[in-house]
Amino acid sequence: MTSLITLCQKELRDLSRNRSVRLLILFLAVVVVLTVLVAAADFRTKTADYNTYLAALQASGGAVTAPPPDLFPLQMLRAGMEYLEIVGSLFAVILGYGLIAKEKNNGTLQLLFTRPLGRHSFAAGKILAALIIWTAVTTALFAVITATLLIAGNAPLTGTDLIRLLIAAAHTTIYLTLWSLAALALAALTRAPATGLILALVLWLVVVLIIPQIGDTMDPDNQIPGGLFASLQIDKAHEHAVMANFTGYETARDLIEQTSLTKQYERPLFAWLGIKNQYNQQSPAFVWAGTFNHSLWLLAGFAAAITAALLAGTRDKLLRKA
Amino acid sequence: MNPWVATVGHELRSAGRERLPQLLLMIFIGMTAASAFIGSAAKATVTEVYNSAAGQGLTSAPNPFGNVPPLYYARNTVIYILLIGALLAIVLGVQSAMRDRRARTVDLVLTRRLSPASYLSAKMAGISLGLLAVLGTSALISAACISAVTGTIPAPDQLLRLTALFSVAWLFLLFFVALGMFSGIHASSYTSALLIPIVIWSVIIFVFPLLGTAVHPVSLLNPVTPPTAPQTGIFALTAALTGPLSLGEHFKHVAAILLQDPQATGTMTGGITVILAFLLAGIGSVVLTGRPSMRKEIHD
Repeated sequence: MTSLITLCQKELRDLSRNRSVRLLILFLAVVVVLTVLVAAADFRTKTADYNTYLAALQASGGAVTAPPPDLFPLQMLRAGMEYLEIVGSLFAVILGYGLIAKEKNNGTLQLLFTRPLGRHSFAAGKILAALIIWTAVTTALFAVITATLLIAGNAPLTGTDLIRLLIAAAHTTIYLTLWSLAALALAALTRAPATGLILALVLWLVVVLIIPQIGDTMDPDNQIPGGLFASLQIDKAHEHAVMANFTGYETARDLIEQTSLTKQYERPLFAWLGIKNQYNQQSPAFVWAGTFNHSLWLLAGFAAAITAALLAGTRDKLLRKA
Repeated sequence: MNPWVATVGHELRSAGRERLPQLLLMIFIGMTAASAFIGSAAKATVTEVYNSAAGQGLTSAPNPFGNVPPLYYARNTVIYILLIGALLAIVLGVQSAMRDRRARTVDLVLTRRLSPASYLSAKMAGISLGLLAVLGTSALISAACISAVTGTIPAPDQLLRLTALFSVAWLFLLFFVALGMFSGIHASSYTSALLIPIVIWSVIIFVFPLLGTAVHPVSLLNPVTPPTAPQTGIFALTAALTGPLSLGEHFKHVAAILLQDPQATGTMTGGITVILAFLLAGIGSVVLTGRPSMRKEIHD
């Protein structure tokens, strides 16, 4: 246990001194803040357009029928969350690879294993460090997001909103740590860590970009700019009625999407933040009932990544391949 | 043998032996083939959805997919070029530069009568030829899959358009090869050599379009152009600043016109100019590298 803590502390010191890691996290924070500012500017533009339309309508004596744009502060986080989903996971892969690569490249692996370490202490120390670092980074990122929403977005946040942000941050921590551990396991299993990095990047490409892209492209409503049903002037109730005849296709599309852990992360995240309209302003119990299975799949993926990292990061495997 | 030609041949052989670019290549070609079938499944479903809605009297609008051109089925390929193709190009560029630095062959090569510019341009030419072969194969597969889905061989005009698409894709991807090579030459470690161009790629593909149009990153992966923010106020400024840098969006626009997307408007001139400008900047930055930079040691 002591050796695990020592290894974890050493890893945290190394990561906090690593300039590349600091730059990546700063980049991520800047991008996420930019997305909130862009969303706030977009909302202001829409409100200004609405007011212009309203004034013109009133001047011509017309009756106002269209409602003003609604401000749901957490919906402004959509683009930022998508960046965490895509770019954040990419950085998590790099970080996880680095945890093993530096030991292999510096030749410190042999030295470390001359000490009386438990079978899984080395890997467990790295896993704990990855979890701590991503918890800290996610906490900092969500604190920055909240501050940006309050200050630049001029968005009022309720206590429930803060709890929703906390749940979103927890999902993000699990998702990013999962990617670091997957990359750690691949870097540990391959002879050259660089090979592990590229394998992890291929995995990232397939899980984060390709599978969700296939599912998204197969969505009938994504075939026309602005949506198929909007272009056909069909309202939501009738849309559901029509789509009820295509359950087989929709189930297949859903299954394709669900094979990606990124979607298992995105679905509860978007639900808790109210980005998906069906969950917006709904009670936590309603959101949980609709998305708990995705959260559990994400947790299962996390557990699998921990197991893979523990099994790959043993003395036998690391020294055999070094 | 002319050293330049020998370097081109060596680069082609070396790139062909790398197993990891081969993996990306297999995914790329596989997805190019799948693209037509994904498009076909989506089109068939949309038509059925439309027929169902029209049958129930819910709409009187014409079927938006009533008369799609056969090249519609290649539009997902454009996204795979942006994602998989660009990453493949980056990995090829990085590995080409890193191979020399790791084996310390640069010192030896530069003792011969071959300037750094000639050597690096030969390496670029070698990878370009390899990439051309990959894209040529993808174009053939794409044409075959479109034929399988539509039941007819595309007309000569459509085959020409498909060839033009993959030619523009070649120019587009060469910039990422140059970016990868530049990073591979200058970075202090393999990790940063791979990481820096991937971060630049993510900024070009996802961040610049968001700043100019407020479009969400995931919608950028859909071949259908999402509605953008009105180009007024702050967005007029950000779009003017980031628009020319949104290389991926320019490529998508050119591709949409080539594939006869009914939603695509305007001309290809601006897009092709941006793609060529990026490519020239990329090639220029690689071939102008000096001897000291090429001989730098790597730290992992």
